Amino acid sequence: MSADSDADGESSVESGAAAETLGDDPDQQAAERETAERASASTETTRHDADGLLAVRDLDAGYGDLQVLDAIDLDVADGEYVVIVGPNGAGKSTVMKSVFGLTTFMGGSIDFDGNDIAGKNPEDIIHHGLGYVPQNENVFAGLSVRENLEMGAYILDEFPDERLDEVFDRFPILRERQGQKAGTLSGGQRQMLAMGRALMLDPKLLMLDEPSAGLAPDLVDEMFDRIDDINESGTAVLMVEQNAKEALRRCDRGYVLVNGGNRFEDDGDVLLNDEEVRQEFLGG
Amino acid sequence: MAVSDRTSWGGRFLDNPAAFVAGAVAVLLLLDLVRRLVTGALGPATLMTYLWTGLVIGLIYGLAGIGLSLTYSILNFANFAHGEYVSVGAFSGWSTAYIVAGGSIATLGDLFLLRPPAGRVGVSITSAPLAVVVGLVVGVVVTVAMALVLDRIVYRPMRGAEGISLLIASIGVAFAVRYLLALVYGTGRPGVTAGTRRFFVGDTLGLGRFIVDSHQIAIIVASLGLMLGVHLLLTRTKLGKSMRAMADNEDLARVTGIPTERVIRSTWILGGGLAGAAGFLVVLTQGTIAYNIGWLLLLLIFAAVILGGIGSVYGAMVGGVVIGIAQQASSIWLRGPWSDMTLPVTFALLIVILLVRPQGIYGGVETT
Repeated sequence: MSADSDADGESSVESGAAAETLGDDPDQQAAERETAERASASTETTRHDADGLLAVRDLDAGYGDLQVLDAIDLDVADGEYVVIVGPNGAGKSTVMKSVFGLTTFMGGSIDFDGNDIAGKNPEDIIHHGLGYVPQNENVFAGLSVRENLEMGAYILDEFPDERLDEVFDRFPILRERQGQKAGTLSGGQRQMLAMGRALMLDPKLLMLDEPSAGLAPDLVDEMFDRIDDINESGTAVLMVEQNAKEALRRCDRGYVLVNGGNRFEDDGDVLLNDEEVRQEFLGG
Repeated sequence: MAVSDRTSWGGRFLDNPAAFVAGAVAVLLLLDLVRRLVTGALGPATLMTYLWTGLVIGLIYGLAGIGLSLTYSILNFANFAHGEYVSVGAFSGWSTAYIVAGGSIATLGDLFLLRPPAGRVGVSITSAPLAVVVGLVVGVVVTVAMALVLDRIVYRPMRGAEGISLLIASIGVAFAVRYLLALVYGTGRPGVTAGTRRFFVGDTLGLGRFIVDSHQIAIIVASLGLMLGVHLLLTRTKLGKSMRAMADNEDLARVTGIPTERVIRSTWILGGGLAGAAGFLVVLTQGTIAYNIGWLLLLLIFAAVILGGIGSVYGAMVGGVVIGIAQQASSIWLRGPWSDMTLPVTFALLIVILLVRPQGIYGGVETT
């Protein structure tokens, strides 16, 4: 696996320079999108702009002086389910963190639901209806399950009892365990609590960073089912996943990121059946 | 994890020879204590006096320790200026108590500087309860104000710096405040409390007669009240829960939309206020005040906090009482020329407990 991905990394650098048949795909799409925006012509990409929720353009970002993302373009439409896949170190999680104001913003634009959120801090961004579930340490271990969910609604002046009920209905185990310390939950339960915490604000877009990481194989499917449920109830989902095949199978649209830049973008099924994507990123 | 920590108590003794020896010494001391009680070498009243005075001073350590523990877990540094917060609470509170109780016996300036003799001013919980209560409140308010000002000018510009840089900055703050107090109040150690009512209790319980004074009762009532308040704040209010959340995981707190600066400010208000209260109360029981009163207490407060599990508020409370009682009760064995050994022995106890349980009494069990 590691030897393969090294080879992939090299080939992607080469392809960027050589710009052969498939390598120029993202560039072409970006160009198409821009012209589509200006002319409001009905091409493939305008579907996302029509009821666009999140629009990331030309985003450069990183940590301190270290730039990780280079000219990232990313769209999520209202209610859409979008997945970001790619090799380790491609900057997948960094995209999400950058959208949520957790990295150093270096240029480009991030619009969410009509608001410019580029360079804003998370405390402001969360007010616009964007929820984020980090990959690690995503619950307050020393607080009870219920207190974790209460913290999820911290920014509201009045506690939303009906939201709490909805989260409990979605994840009944959390209702059962509401008095228990979050640190004593199993991995799967923690992940549900982390999602429940983010859902307390009924976000328009829920960003999930590797929700299946560290889960037992039989729980992974269940986790994906729950994410499907969340999406079907109207919440747009942007997800980073290592489990790329399953994620692409379930999502509406997918992005393949390599070395901090866009490489491919298409419907999940199309990417899943694309020969080059399969060979390079999905292990054949 | 918490459960396995509890069950491994026995295992730790066997794995750790130092802890095993310490445990054996503890058992021997306990047996010796029983022997002394049975043979009458140690009267029950004496033992009760040690326990009682240990509880009183221990509650004060615990009270001061809460703030130290909170700043450690929320601001991620050990605040060496915490002892000076105790001192400022003591001086501002007692200056106020002198002014309230002193009336016209001396000029305002002299009363403020605690110059008139304690017997003439007569501040005690029984003779001038109003002065004591007002003094406590003002001591708390002034310490809170100082904590907020120091945060604004020293710690906030350093937010996000390494814990060690903040620690060194706090040592600078400690020196600055301590010698400012020395400049204003001098370096003497005046007595400031008047005598108060004493009660003999224990007869009816068959424990012998030991002395309880009304200042000790006031301290126990005040500190238990404040600790209950802290508990309710941390477990029942949104602010308190957000403080625990931030102590737990600062990054997640930011992602959740918790305003971290507001939480930090609340931490200083709570921790500074309790340190100020502890400073006022420790003078109430010791009777004297000095510019380095908080500095001398700081090591014991640290001991209480580390013993309880640094970062844990309940640990600070329990650790304070354990340290206080250990300090007093060690006098059972350390008599005559050995009586100067109580402090070393208290710290030895700290080391022993940490050998057995490195994370402290509450560490790994309760994050706040």
